[in-house]
This record gives sequence, structure tokens and C-alpha cells, in this order.
Amino acid sequence: MILSRMKPAVGGETPATISEKKKKNKTKVPRLEEYLQQRDYLGALTLLEFQRSIGEKEEHADLWIGYCAFHLGDYKRAMEEYKSLTSKPECPEQVWVYLACALFFLGLYKEAEDAASKAPMSPLQNRLLFHLAHKFNDEKKLMGFHQNLEDVTEDQLSLASIHYMRSHYQEAIDIYKRLLLQNRDFLALKVYVALCYYKLDYYDVSQEVLAVYLQSMPDSTIALNLKACNHFRLYNGKAAEAELKNLIDISSCSFEFAKELIRHNLVVFRGGEGALQVLPPLIDVIPEARLNLVIYYLRQDDVQESYNLIQDLVPSTPQEYILKGVVNAALGQEIGSRDHLKIAQQFFQLVGGSASECDTIPGRQCMASCFFLLRQFEDVLIYLNSVKGYFYNDDTFNFNYAQAKAALGNYKEAEEVFLLIQSEKIKNDYVYLSWLARCYIMNQKGRLAWELYLRMGTSSDSFSLLQLIANDCYKMGQFYYAAKAFDALEKLDPGSNYWEGKRGACVGVFQLILANKESKETLKEVVLLLQNSGNPQVEYILRALRKWAKDNRVLLS
Amino acid sequence: MERPDRGKDTRLLKNQPYDESLEVIDSEEVTSVYSPTPRSRRQSESRRSRRGRGLMSANSGSDEFDDDHAPLRANEVSGGQPGVGPHEEDEEEEEEDEEEEDSDEDDSDDDDEPSKAPEGAYDPADYANLPVSTEIKELFQYITRYTPQSVELEHSLKPFIPDFIPAVGDIDAFLKVPRPDGKVDSLGLLVLDEPSVKQSDPTVLSLWLSEETKQHGAAELKKVTSVASPQSNPRAVDSWVDSISALHRSKPPASVQYSRAMPDIDSLMQEWPAELEEQLGRLQLPPARLNCSPAQYADIICSLLDIPVHGSRIQSLHLLFSLYLEFRDSQHFTRRA
Repeated sequence: MILSRMKPAVGGETPATISEKKKKNKTKVPRLEEYLQQRDYLGALTLLEFQRSIGEKEEHADLWIGYCAFHLGDYKRAMEEYKSLTSKPECPEQVWVYLACALFFLGLYKEAEDAASKAPMSPLQNRLLFHLAHKFNDEKKLMGFHQNLEDVTEDQLSLASIHYMRSHYQEAIDIYKRLLLQNRDFLALKVYVALCYYKLDYYDVSQEVLAVYLQSMPDSTIALNLKACNHFRLYNGKAAEAELKNLIDISSCSFEFAKELIRHNLVVFRGGEGALQVLPPLIDVIPEARLNLVIYYLRQDDVQESYNLIQDLVPSTPQEYILKGVVNAALGQEIGSRDHLKIAQQFFQLVGGSASECDTIPGRQCMASCFFLLRQFEDVLIYLNSVKGYFYNDDTFNFNYAQAKAALGNYKEAEEVFLLIQSEKIKNDYVYLSWLARCYIMNQKGRLAWELYLRMGTSSDSFSLLQLIANDCYKMGQFYYAAKAFDALEKLDPGSNYWEGKRGACVGVFQLILANKESKETLKEVVLLLQNSGNPQVEYILRALRKWAKDNRVLLS
Repeated sequence: MERPDRGKDTRLLKNQPYDESLEVIDSEEVTSVYSPTPRSRRQSESRRSRRGRGLMSANSGSDEFDDDHAPLRANEVSGGQPGVGPHEEDEEEEEEDEEEEDSDEDDSDDDDEPSKAPEGAYDPADYANLPVSTEIKELFQYITRYTPQSVELEHSLKPFIPDFIPAVGDIDAFLKVPRPDGKVDSLGLLVLDEPSVKQSDPTVLSLWLSEETKQHGAAELKKVTSVASPQSNPRAVDSWVDSISALHRSKPPASVQYSRAMPDIDSLMQEWPAELEEQLGRLQLPPARLNCSPAQYADIICSLLDIPVHGSRIQSLHLLFSLYLEFRDSQHFTRRA
């Protein structure tokens, strides 16, 4: 009764729980155990403190406060409590390992090790040292503590979590499944299995396993957050955000646990909205925060900033390798640095060639990127083809894909793919324009290439495009546009000699007219183009053209 | 067919601008997609000769045309399609990659060279039989005099930027503090070791506790938290208001010890005599606008309701308002109203 009123009312009256009803007839002052049963650690802490303030003390009140603060996730508070305990003469030795646990979760690994070393040997101490060895990357110690692990539930679960952190998800799942066979009611293990499947990209399996837990614990923060993440992978950010919103709605205002995780994931689900406000303080608190900020900068084309953030990161997960590869590739191309491109290519190769990633979409993208940087477009196509079903409308994918096709001379398909691209930024990129122009020309659509040139402003790029059009059209016997391009080049760059090309192109148009492949009217324009040039040969050619025109009754003026 | 041609090239090369940079052959050069040259011959060629051929085509200029037209022209028509030759303007490429890339490219050339020859490339042979005068035929030779350059285009890899990565956290590592009383808490086994989403508000709870234990003073030390930006966080404000009013509702109403005997509420709530009820039906109760002081008005109302006034009216008014609350909160009367 008291408790139900005391809880901040959220969305109308909170239905009284069974335990609250039971309390009705008992003493009005709640007991610690009731708070603990509900995992209302903040309530428990308040009660303990209240009792402390009125001089009414629970046995081991300090230890209880440490316990509650620890399980509330307030590790700083727990650490302070244990620290002050360890300074007392009558302090039980075990407190050192509790202090070490709190320090561990605060990221104070060195201090945690020191504290743990003062505690007597115990399974908990061994587990902690085992995890510390993992954090310190000390393989030798890791093996030592590994051997001390026993075949008891806690030790096995601790081992499984190391597997998880080392990306050995299958090994972790094996442990969980074995334990679940022995203890069907260990429902929390279902969530651990779901986390492993999530990491293995089996989002629907993860969702299934998770549902079992949520059925009995519908308001679990960790489970609901994982559900949201599964939705993000399976559907979209909106679906994921809805799940998180639900979690926020059911939690009380004083609920602080995993708040950072939720804020972080909201940014993710909203496609980076608020990234600059939320993510920087979370760097090195949530491992993904740094990566997401890098992704955010990449999406904003702020390559330098993304490089600054990631350059000192020593990659260990595929995601980190990929991101380092992407940043180096982007930067290398932007500043023309071979070193960065080399690093990018190596990272891409490492991920794409790894057993765990070689069959994933990002893994295939990595291999394609690696070969793209090596200009081995045959191989680029093999990898891109294997995932193209997932990227039909993806501009980035299509841009790379079309370039690879074009590089191998598949101009027809390349043109189609280039034309699927929507991004204005890509469409104004000279690489796009020049390759599209080449595709047009190779596909006998010189006119479209010429129109691309006409739409461009005057720049060094448009000059280059003219040279491309002039020569490629010439090659393909599209002499009319070759002649026009040479003529334009002549005007833009009077110092260079374009006469030979222009001469050939103009005569080429004439040949096409004679072969009935170009209309006779075009000859008029050819004459004008020739007259633009000051070369002495012009007259000789014009004479021949005029003679033919006269003989064939074609008007030239 | 190409032999004499090639010999001549080597001779021509001597004074060319790029002839000393032979070692810097790049991969693109080898990939000449337009090359109709059969595979076997290409393989037997040295790089040097390939480069030579490239220079040849790029440098066939008008003066050659004037000097030695006929034989050379014939050769070019048959052996040198437009764009046959690799070109010279792509010197810059990594040297270390060169070797392997060369072989790679050669291999890939092998596979798709037939498909790679651009369809519809200009072929002078298509026009060899046009019925035209010798003069025009001569003119046509200008077309093959110029060998279009192969313009190298740059590639740009648009990196595949990964999706944003949600965080799911780590798995319970069982590095946890046990209960001080040694009981099993099953945290991380039966349920996840996470606090419930419903956590008591410490401030509200301590107010409750001091209320229940009548230990006032202890809780007063407790700071009342403030809400950073109430306009954007109405939930925090609402929940505070709700919990505090719940707290107040639960307290017994402040009881007042009357100094003189007062009738109890129940007796005051009894029905009026029928006579009076009847009168009230016709008469109006004295309205608040009555031309008298509030003190007098209070006296009138109290006497009307059988509430005695002994000296100070405070206690009488308290009884009056208690009576009012009783009526207001009485379900019996609310339903009738």
C-alpha cells in the first residue's frame, strides 16, 4: 500500500503487485528484503541510509549499502563504501575483492588488480583476475586463471563472457546451452544467448530466444534494449526507437541504469541525430560511441575529423578494422596519400579474408574495396555481384559497381547503373561525369556525352571532359561530336594543336554522310567548324567538300 | 605484318620525350581495353616493345603523313586500329605493385579480351568500298592519320560507410558482489543482474519513512532534487507532484483539540426538522453579499448549522469546514447532487 503510492505514478495508477498487497497487513515500514526482491536498489539504499540516520542499524549495513550501490550500477558509490570499509581495522578480507569488482567496472583496472591481490583466494577473485588479464592482453596470465576456473556455474558463465568479448560467440553459446540443459529456469542465460546471436548477425534467432525472457520479465532494460537493436537490424531505426521509447516510458524518473546506453542508441536509431551532443562524452564509456562518431563525420564528409578520432584506435573487432579501412581509404583519396590507401587496402583484405567476415555483406564490401584500391576490377565485380541484391538503390554501391563495370568495358551495364544514382554530390563528381560520358560514347550516344559537357560550367574538369569526348568519339567513329569537341578545345586552348584531330573528325563526318550514316545537312556545320581553324589545309579540304556538295546539290549556306 | 612497323618505331623512339622512363610502366597501360591484339603475341612481347607501340601511335603526326604516307598508312589501317596502342600519359603508379599487377592484368586480359573490344569502334574497312572519287579517298586518309589518344579516367572508390552501430552491452561476467548475509540472490541466473526500471525516488521515500516512523528531522536533511529543464521534462515534474500529493493524502488530517465541547460531525450531518426543510425550500439562505461583516456572517452561518461559537470563532470555523469537507467527500451526497 505504502509502496504503491510512493512510486512515482507513471501513466495512471500503478497496479499493486502481489508483494505490495501482502504488505498491507504487515508493518507499515518496508523491509530491506522487499526492496531487494524487486531490485529497487535505490529504495533499498534510501531505507538503509534512513536507518543509519536514525541510529537504527541493519546488520552489516555498510556491506548492504555497497551491495545495493553495486547492483544499481552506481560503482562509484560502491567503491567509496568499500574503500572506507577497507580502511577500518575490523574489515573482513573479502571486502577487498568487492572493492576490486567496483574498480573493475569503473575501468580502473590497475587499481582493481591491486585491490584483488589483497583479497584471499576465492573463485570470485580468480574470475576477476581472469578478466583483468583479458583487459591487459596478458595471454599467459589469462591461461593461468583460465585453468583455475572450475566447472561450476559462475566460473563457466564468466568464461563464456570472455568468449563473447573475444568475438568467440559460438563457444559462448555452447556454454550457455549446456548450462541451460542442466538448469531450465536460468532464464537470464537466454538473454546471453540472444546477445551472442545478435553479434553473429542472426537477428531473428536472437529475437526468438530473447522473447522467452521478455515473456517473464517484460520490463527488463537489457532485454528491451537488445530487442530494439534487433529491430534496428531487422527493420529500421523507427521500429527500434519505438522499443526504446517503450522502455523509457515504463521506467521511473530516478532510474539511471543504462541511461547512457539508451541515449547512445537513440542517436543511432535516429540516424545520427544529436550525435555531436550525445556521443563525445560517451567516448571510451560505450565502445561504440567513438565508432559512431567516426561514422557520423564520414557521413558529413568530414574525413579529417573522422581520421583524428580513429587514428589512435588499435582495431580489434571487424567493425573497427572496417572503419579504419574506410577512413584511410577516404583520406588517402582525398589527400592523395599512398600510405593511407595501402593501410586501407590491408585492413579491407584482413576483414574480407577473415573466416568470420568473408561471408558477410561488410566482408564482401571490404574485399571489393580492397580490389578497387588495387584497380583489379574483375575481382571487384565478383565481390560486388555477390551482394548486389542488397544494394539496388544504394548510390555508393552503384557508383563503385558502375566504375568497375566500365573499367572492364561493360559500358552498357555501367551506363544503366550510373543512371540509377540519385545523389547530386556524386552526379557532380568528375569521376562520375567522365565515366558516364565514356559509357555514353562507347554505347554510341555521343550526343548525351556532349550534353553532359554543355551542362558543366567552365573548369579544368570540363576541359578534360572535352578531351575525353573528342578522343573517345573519334575512336568510336562518332565524328560529329568529336569534331565539335576538338573545335571547342581549339577555342579554349589556342596554344595547343588540335588540328589533326579536328581535321580527321571533320573528314570523318563527311565519310559518314557519304555512307548515309549522317544527314547531309551536317555538312554545313562541318564547313563552319573547319572555317574556325586557321590551318592552311582547311582550304584544300573545303574545296573538296564544296565540290561534292555542288555535285550532289547540297546547300552549304 | 607488324614487324617492319615495329622496327621503325624503335628507331623513331630515340628522340622521344618519354623514352628514358621505360621502367615506370603502369598497370593501366597493360590493360588496354581497346586492344584487339591477340593474346599470345602480346605475351611474347616485351614491355619495351609494347611501350614502343604506344609511342608510335601517339606520335604519328602530320609530318609523317607528308613524308612517308602510303606504306605506313597501309600498316596502320591493318595493324593499328584506333586506340590499339597503350598510351604514354600514365606514368605515375606504384612501382611495387607493378610486377604483380602486370601479371594479374595479363591474366584477366586473357579471359575477357574478346568481349572487351568496344563494339562499334570505328573501322575504316567499313568504308573502303564507298564509291567516291580519288580526291575524296585521299581526303579520307586524314581520318586514320590521327590516332585518338586514350584518355585515362580516374577511379574513385566511394568507401562503404558502415551503418551506425547500436550498443548492446556486454554479457554478465559474474564479477559481482554477493549478498552480505550469504543468501543466494540468483542475479544473472534467474533474472538479469540489472536494477528494476521502477526505482523509488529517494527524496519521496525518505519523506515517507520519516512520516511512518514519526522520526521527523532526519529526512529534512535530505535535499530536494531539482529538475534541470522542467519544460522539456514534464514527466519528472508530474511524478514529483503526484508522489508528494500522495504522501499528503496518506497523512491523517491534522486533528484539532477543541477547547470547549463541540457537537460531533455526524450529529451535525443529521437531517433538519421537516419544518425547516420546508422553509428552506421557499427561503434563500443568507447570501455572502449580505450587508454585514465577515465575523457576523460567520456567526449567522454557524448558528444556522447548529455550530456553537464560544468566544473565538476559529474553532467553530474549523468545525464548519470539516463539516463541509465531510459533505463534499460523502459519496451519498455527491451522487445526489
